[in-house]
Formats: sequence, structure tokens, C-alpha cells
Amino acid sequence: MKLTNEEKTAAIETSQRILSNYNQEKGSLIPTLQQIQNELGYVPSPAMEVVADHFNVMKVDVYSIVTFYNQFRLTPPGKNQVKVCMGTACHMRGGNIIMDSWKRRLEIDCGETSEDREFSLDRVACVGCCTQAPVTVINEEIHAKVTPTRVEGLLYAYQLDKDKENKKAGEDN
Amino acid sequence: MGKKINLTIDGKKIQAMEGDKILWAALENDIYIPHLCAMKEQQQSPFAGCRLCFIEIEGKPRPVAACTEPALEGMVVNTRSESIDRLVEAGFNLIMSNHHIDCKICAASGACELQKIAKERKIRLKPKKLVQLDRNLPKDHSKDCIIYDPNKCVLCGRCVTACRTEGTAVLGLAYRGFERMVTTFGDIPLGETDCSGCGSCANVCPAGALIETDN
Amino acid sequence: MSNKSTAAATAFEQLKQKAAGTWNTLRDKPLIMVGAATCGRAAGAQDITKVIRDELASRQIEATVIEVGCMGHCYAEPLVLIQKPDNPTICYGYVSEGLASMLVREFIAGDDPCIEFALAAMEVNDFIPTFEDFPRGMVEKKVVMQHCGIIDPENIDHYIANGGYEALAKAIDKSGEEVVSEIKTSGLRGRGGAGFPTGVKWETCRQFKEDVKYVICNADEGDPGAFMDRTLLESNPHQVLEGLALAAHAVGASKGYLYIRAEYPLAVERIKKAINQAEESGLLGESILGTDFNLTLEIFQGSGAFVCGEETALIASMEGEPGIPRHRPPFPAEAGLWGKPTVINNVKTLSYIPHIIRKGADWFRETGTPDSPGTAVFALAGKVINTGLVEVPMGVTLSQLVYDVGSGIDGGKQFKAVQIGGPSGGCLPESFLETAIDFDSLNQAGAMMGSGGMVVMDEDDCMVEIARYFLDFTQNESCGKCTFCRLGTKQMLEILERITKGEGALEDIDTLLNLAKNVKTGSLCNLGKTAPNPVLSTLKHFRNEYEAHITEGRCPSLMCLNLIAYYILPDKCERSCDACIGSCPVESIFSNEDRIKVVDQEKCVKCKSCMDACPPQYSAVVKLSPPELVQEKENDNG
Repeated sequence: MKLTNEEKTAAIETSQRILSNYNQEKGSLIPTLQQIQNELGYVPSPAMEVVADHFNVMKVDVYSIVTFYNQFRLTPPGKNQVKVCMGTACHMRGGNIIMDSWKRRLEIDCGETSEDREFSLDRVACVGCCTQAPVTVINEEIHAKVTPTRVEGLLYAYQLDKDKENKKAGEDN
Repeated sequence: MGKKINLTIDGKKIQAMEGDKILWAALENDIYIPHLCAMKEQQQSPFAGCRLCFIEIEGKPRPVAACTEPALEGMVVNTRSESIDRLVEAGFNLIMSNHHIDCKICAASGACELQKIAKERKIRLKPKKLVQLDRNLPKDHSKDCIIYDPNKCVLCGRCVTACRTEGTAVLGLAYRGFERMVTTFGDIPLGETDCSGCGSCANVCPAGALIETDN
Repeated sequence: MSNKSTAAATAFEQLKQKAAGTWNTLRDKPLIMVGAATCGRAAGAQDITKVIRDELASRQIEATVIEVGCMGHCYAEPLVLIQKPDNPTICYGYVSEGLASMLVREFIAGDDPCIEFALAAMEVNDFIPTFEDFPRGMVEKKVVMQHCGIIDPENIDHYIANGGYEALAKAIDKSGEEVVSEIKTSGLRGRGGAGFPTGVKWETCRQFKEDVKYVICNADEGDPGAFMDRTLLESNPHQVLEGLALAAHAVGASKGYLYIRAEYPLAVERIKKAINQAEESGLLGESILGTDFNLTLEIFQGSGAFVCGEETALIASMEGEPGIPRHRPPFPAEAGLWGKPTVINNVKTLSYIPHIIRKGADWFRETGTPDSPGTAVFALAGKVINTGLVEVPMGVTLSQLVYDVGSGIDGGKQFKAVQIGGPSGGCLPESFLETAIDFDSLNQAGAMMGSGGMVVMDEDDCMVEIARYFLDFTQNESCGKCTFCRLGTKQMLEILERITKGEGALEDIDTLLNLAKNVKTGSLCNLGKTAPNPVLSTLKHFRNEYEAHITEGRCPSLMCLNLIAYYILPDKCERSCDACIGSCPVESIFSNEDRIKVVDQEKCVKCKSCMDACPPQYSAVVKLSPPELVQEKENDNG
């Protein structure tokens, strides 16, 4: 995925601003990356280079960290982040079937973002709502006891919201 | 440091420097123990990842890695036993199940550490009962003097250390689990990095994953 | 010394009086407590709080509403506790918005406690049974969960008024050595999984004469299906902080960290607040309670790597490295964070410390078994009726947990196994139901205490699939450093996948056993060393299921998707109904000339929607295994 120039500039500026609050001790390296991820939704290469420079470590070592931990993304997430819980309780109540449904409907694999960047699909290891299994988290909202038909319903609801927005935007213009 | 101590390995009485790990005490006394990741310069904080240098120490209930155990005065060590041989063979089989085997055309053939282990321990190169776990990653030909074939890499990490001590520190270990690999920042080809082409990575590679060419 | 002791005791006495004041005034008017830990919130606790507040406001009733943590009765979330003067405190479960406003109307404003909706009372009284009167209550024994769900986790006074920080005030005048010795005598074993004696760990760290030492609370709870650490952090954060402060005092550290999983934002928020409050009260920070003991605490958030629960990997990640385990020794207690002696204890372990210091080692040993004293916290999930968290004495039996606490198996199904200890644990079959559970008995049985996750499985759960699931988890979470864990677990997973797809061979079982044995011996850290446990235990107790997959291409529990097919029984299909057709997401169900519904096996994705959609009075959709049975059935029907 190629970054646009605006994305590059945003990545560098955000990273520099965040880094200005941190000293150069290596213990702050991961917290900095976490903050960049929180603000940008991902950790692009230009950000990693700025971080490497600040902490005086090799670029490839920052890359090594970002690719190691689940939390970090290398590509921008979708506008709607779909996370399917794969904890034990969810698995036993058909979490994998729900994951399959999302894959089928969004036509992307786990860990990918759709072409139009509307949706990204990820797995999460237990959000701790085991009694509500199987669970899907969309953005911050937890959807309990999801079924394949519910997947359809959720997507339909998003589509309706989007149509409404588009229509409104159209009217505003 | 600097003091000599006495120990017995495979019935042979040998001397070693106090503080040395058993692996190095053995190797320096011509007792071979299979190993891929160990580097003597780093013996005080060993990588301990390849898990091939297993030995038995009398008085210890379980096999231990020779690269992590310090040689102590009076210690009695065995590098071969039925259970040790089985464990080492199992580890070696696992490595080979993830190593692209093409010895006939491999430039490292003859100088390959994997071939040496197979010969020393009389283990087949191609494991029988395991499936071949090929990842089919692209070879990197981008640099004139070095060819990198990640499908042969055994993840010993020696090239990464060498690249830092003698090269320009472009190599690192990234990703996790089965996806883990030796790579560069952003996975870009070596030819597009600051790689100086010193070849120190190829010199330490035990498995023919990094090869220096004549160009 | 005596001067100092007076100073600390006096300072604490003042805090205690203030706290008692806050706590007692709570009783002056009606008090409504809403369980609002993450589990409660997922069930809608925040909406309930709002309804209650609105209802109170519209009726202009004076009452206090607070959000509390989790009592462990997760099955009945959202939970509401009401304390009204002259009434016992009553706990209501499954509270809907309607019930919430009714409780305000009828009980707070009126006089009717709506007993029919009460789960139990908190104190003995004449008309509502207490939790102790139920089978669960007879097994349960609360130590670390004692105040979870009944105090405001964001108010330090609630903790202090219930005996909190008394242990710290008491210990601060004693030497660290005395504290270590008390913990050693108590026999407390680490609740993070392996059960290493906490006192011994502390003693090792204490022996080092270094200026800088660290204490770390390991709250990187990554085991899928375990959430007891999260509950303790969210419901009683000060208990953990006090435990950590006691550890720091004992070993001589003045800097501590709480390493909390990134997926626990609420826990992070509550711990942050708790640290600030404790600092303001002089219970943390510089010269604690006026003594020369200093301790600053900081939060470090994990970045999502299960392996970071391993001590050396946790340290690596705090030092700005990938979370890759290092060779031990040296152990962290000798050379840990930044090379300094470091004590790392789990959330539960630390939560026990204040209780032991306050009530003594002998008191602690009264509960549990001689070698595993104290209690254990389990997260009960899976196919039991009442899921949730429960604290029980070490040494209770599995059957007490499944039947008394969990109220048995959901839906009248047959019990099959209990998976204990998550990815490092094992599956225990029915024959182990009467086994007393402690660290050692579980190890002997081929399982592991682990973090305390406990998943109950019934006849519909395939044991090969469960083994595959856990292997897939550990394989995904392996750091990739060492050969056995990186490739051994991958090879095992390949075999298990083949078997669950019906493509296995009988000799695969031997290969699997050999791999398991070697991965256990050869791996560098405990993640790898314990990864084969789910496979070994299921192979030991449920080998017949593996064989059915291999030799008959059949999944006895009808769970493995490749080995089942959905089939609609023609004689049961109620032709005019087409619920199944509407439910199918891939349009694989059609109506034949007799209007009987038929599944197009080529298109079917086996999502079970049709089975759920078929009205129960028909129950026409069934699963068949092996899938070839469909052909046979169709031939039979002509």
C-alpha cells in the first residue's frame, strides 16, 4: 500500500510531536509507538524512521518491534474496524463461523483492509465477554451473540447509515 | 577469569577456562556438539535459539543446552546418549522441515553446517515423518555480491550480529512465530538499503541462506 | 524506631477515620451499586446506571448511585445491589432498563423490595436467602474477591474503610526481612501459573545488595477465556497496589510497574486513578506514611503478545525490545529489568499479600491444602449454566466447580471434559471430576493451574478440535526464537488440521506424541514447554475421537466442519415453512418439487443458520458425519 504525501507528512509530524514529550531512554520506545498507533491508527515507515532516529536505534530494530506485537498495524485500518473475538468461549460457540461470515461478506481476509478502506477485519484474543459469546467488536461497540444472519444485518445497517450520509452530503452540495 | 578448570566430556578429561560455556570447552577440545546459533563472542548472553547443542550433565535430571551451561570444576558431561541423540535429531528434523533443500546446486554445499550435523549424527537431511513447511519467499538478488534466500534461513541470527559488528546494521530479525525472518527495514531488497556488501553475513551463515558471489 | 512507628501509625489512623466517615455516611440514604466492570458494561451496565439516575432525578429522590466492580456472577449481568436503610442489602440480577426503573419506583421510592427479582441478599435476614445459602455459596470462599463488586473501585476510602492499607501501615514499621519471612511461612505460591513460592522469589531478590531494584505486577493476562486479573484490577485496584507496595518494601525496591495488557483499557484507567489517590493520601510516592520508604508506581501497557506473560519476555518488552524470552538463569530476581534484581508477581498473587500480612501466615494456611494453601480464582466458562468468576479453597473438586458453582451443563447435555489452564493446560475427562484441585494434583493429571481459566465442554465439543484450537493459539503466539516452539508447534498444528479435515493417518498419532514430547523438553521457555499439554491430555483421554476422525472420517461431536454436512430430514420438513431458506447467507437451500427443502452441499458453508432457524417443533435440520451419509440418505429416499 503506497502512502500519499499527506499521509507521509502527517506521520512525520505526529511522531515528532509525540516524541517531544519523551526522553531518549529506550524504555519509552514502545510507549511512543503505542501513542503513534493510537493517533494514526497505524505505524507507517516514516514514523518508524523518526522514532529510530530519536532513540538512536537501528531502523530495522523498530521494524522488528512493530512486526512483533499484535497491536501495531503497518497499513491504515478501515474506517470501520471489525474485530472478531477468537477466545475459547467464542470459539466454542462458533467464532470461526462468524469470522468466515465476515470474510465472505467483506471479501477480505483477516488482517486486511477492503479496497475502499471502509472496513478492516481482524481477530482479537478474548475481549473478556465470554458469557456473551460469540462476540464481534465493531469500532468500540461490542456486539454479543453474533450469528451469520446478524453479520448481514450489521453490514446492512452500516450501508444504510452510509447511504444516508451520502444523501445528506449530496443535498448539502 | 583466566583460571583453568578440569572437567570430563564423553570420558575425556579436558581443561577449560573458568566461565566458558560447555559448548566452547568441548569444541576447543575437538569434541563436536551440533550447534547453529552460538557465537563465542556472545557466550555470556547466549542466543540459545537453535536448540541443537543438548547434552547431559551428571546429577542433572534433564538435558540442557551446552551453550548456556557454564563449565564447572569436576563436571561430568555426556554429549551422546539415546535420549540426547533423539532430542537433537528431532530438533534437526524440524529445522530441515523448514529449510529449502537443494544441496546439488547450493553454493554452500560442502561448507554447510547442516550437512555437517547430518553427517556427524548420521541423520537424513530430509526428515521422514514431517511435512515440508515451505514459505516460498522470493530470493533477493538485488545486491551484486550477495544472494539472500530466506527459504534456507534457520533463524540462528548470526548474520544480524555480524552485520552490526562488521557491516552497516541493515539486517534484523522481524515478525513473530513461524513468520519470523531475517529481513531489512520495511522488507526492502538489500540493494536498496545501506548495505555495504561486506559479506560478513554470508561468512557466518551456517545454512547457505546468505551467499557471497564473485561479482 | 518507636518514634517512626508512632508517626506511621498516627498518619494511617487519620486516613482510617476519614475513610470510615465516608463509608458510614453511605448508609444514611439509599445506596445503589451497579456492577460496571468490563463484563457488566458489555451487558449494558452503563445504560442501567443512567436509567436509575434519571428515574431518581425525575422523582427527586435522595440516593447515592455508584459504579462498582464485578462480584463474579457474570451469568446474571447486569447486577445491581441496593442498600436501603432498615433493609438487608439485596442483589438483583439480569437487570433490564425496565427492571431498573421499577426498582427505583417500587423499592427506593416505595417499600416493595421486589423479592421475585432478587438474586440473593448480602446479609442474613428473614425473607431473602443469602448467596451462602446456595450450593455455590457453600463452596465459595472469598479472600481476594471479598470486596469486588461491593466497594467503589475509584474511591480509596472504600478500600481503607474495609481494612485496606492496614497491612502496609503495619509492615512499614517492620523490616523487609520480617515481611519476607511471613510470606514464606504462609506458603503462598504464585498464581500466574507455575506455582513458584512467592516468599522464595522475594528472598532471592532481597539478598542482593543493590541500590536499584524493581517490583513488577504482571497483568498481561493473555490466556483466552481468563479474565480474573482484569476483574481484580477493575474491581479492587488498591488491593493490587498495596500488595505491590508490600513487595517493594520487602525486597527493598523504590520503583514499581504494572504491566497491563493493552486490551484492558478500563483496568488501566482505574489503576491510574488508584495510583493518584494513593499518592495524595501519602500511601505511595515519597516518604510513605511519613517514613523513609519511597515507592513510585508506573503503568506499562502491553502491545499484544501472549509470550510477554513470560517474565523475561515481559522485561524485554519493557526495555524496548520485541518480547522474546531470554535464557534463565539469571532469573529476574537476580538480574531482571535493566539488569537489576526484579520481583515479578501476578495480580492475584499480589492481591493475597495484604491479607496475609494483616491476618498472618497461619490464618492463610487454614484454607486450602498443605502444599497449596489459600484459595484459587477460576473463570468458569463454556457449557455450564452459570458462568463467571469464583474464588474457592484450593482442594475443591472439579465436580463442585462444575455442578455446585456452575449449576451443571447447559441444555441437558452430557458433560465431557474440563479444560483447565488454557493453552498450557489440559483437558480432564469425567473420571477426574472427583479430583481435588491444587497445583500439584493438576500437574499430575497432565493439566496445569495456569491462570485459572476453566472451560467446561459437553458432548457437542470435539476434543481434537479443542486441541487444534489451543495449538493454533500457541503457534500464533510463539515468539519464533527457538526451533522446537516455532517449528514443532507448527508441525503439530499441521497434523491436527489434517486430522480435523479427515485427512489424517493413524501413524500421525505417533508423530504427534513424539513431537509433543520433544517440544516439551527442547523448548527454551515455558510457552513452548507447556504448549503440547492440550494435545497430550486429549490424546490420553480421548484417543478414540482422534481415531474416529482418521479411520472413519467422522467427527463424533459433529463439530469439525469438514467432516459434517447439514441435511434436512424430508419427513420432518414442514414444506410450507421456509425459515431455513431465508436464513441461509449463501442461498444454498432450495425447495424441491414436493416443496421439501434441500441443502445444496456444494454451496453450503456450514454456518448452522438453517439449523437455528428451523422451528423447534419441526427440528428438521440435522448434522451428519461423515458427510457422505447425505448421499446415502438421499438414495434411501429415492
